[in-house]
Amino acid sequence: MSKIFVIILTSVSVMVPVLARQSAQDEPVDGPKTRFSPLHIDIDSGHRSLAAYQFELKAATGRFKIVGVEGGRHKAFEEAPYYDPAALAKDRIIIAAFNTGRDLPKERTRIATVHLQIIGEVEPEYELKLIVAADKEGKEIPAKISYEKGESK
Amino acid sequence: MTERKQHFDGDLDLHVSPTLSKDLSALFETKHPVPTEVDRMISDRIHGHFVGIKPMEGKRRRFHWVALWKVAAAAAVVIFAFSLDLTKKPEPVPHRRLALDGIRANDIDLNGRVDILDAFTLARQIENADHIATKWDMNGDGRVDHSDVDVVALAAVRLEKGVL
Repeated sequence: MSKIFVIILTSVSVMVPVLARQSAQDEPVDGPKTRFSPLHIDIDSGHRSLAAYQFELKAATGRFKIVGVEGGRHKAFEEAPYYDPAALAKDRIIIAAFNTGRDLPKERTRIATVHLQIIGEVEPEYELKLIVAADKEGKEIPAKISYEKGESK
Repeated sequence: MTERKQHFDGDLDLHVSPTLSKDLSALFETKHPVPTEVDRMISDRIHGHFVGIKPMEGKRRRFHWVALWKVAAAAAVVIFAFSLDLTKKPEPVPHRRLALDGIRANDIDLNGRVDILDAFTLARQIENADHIATKWDMNGDGRVDHSDVDVVALAAVRLEKGVL
């Protein structure tokens, strides 16, 4: 009697969590639709050469997650910039890079591309702020930052 | 005992012949007769032991108690098992902060904040082979090199600072 009871009790205590987990996995996930999209970041430093930059990107409206960051188009910034790895899977990131070489971009140039996972149907709006831009001497220069959505590079 | 014998004898009506009765009495004659008081006392004790105890009552009472305990234990196990939220996935382990924690990221250009220009300034000093103060050894490895620049740059892009 007691052995049977112990066996039943053990079986129940083992099977119930397994069944609970299985039922949870079988439930269809009806989450919001997601899609992936790049966001290209450009800086226009005018006639001054751009040697360093730092900016912050975050969501103004809509929902997205940052899934990756890649460098820009110009050779001086083609390597992946600095960013906090903790920003991945979040909707806010600070990105920065510099180049001590002589071959530096001028005018408008693509400095980085941020890859996003957009959650839901609403097209997000982005808040972009240039923290600092500097020339080859390390002096701050006026510059404009902008973004471009989509696949184009 | 004598009364019982008489009682059974009356019920059964065995019709034993006097000769057989005499022979049996001689055969089972008690050499040491039991006093009537002792015989009655034993009889009363036996009677008192069995009177008031219904068959299986003790077992049933114990069974009820054991069954209740087992049901309660089983219920507790089931409730505990269901209370475990196994569908909840464990929290992701926080990303390693590239050894930033515990390492000082100083304001190298002394503009009041740590940003990419501090890393840029340090990188230019290293590349120009200028005199580099040992205080810029950010990672404490005894040298001032590009790994220290990385430390400063990563400190500049940390989210906790907050800029906007």
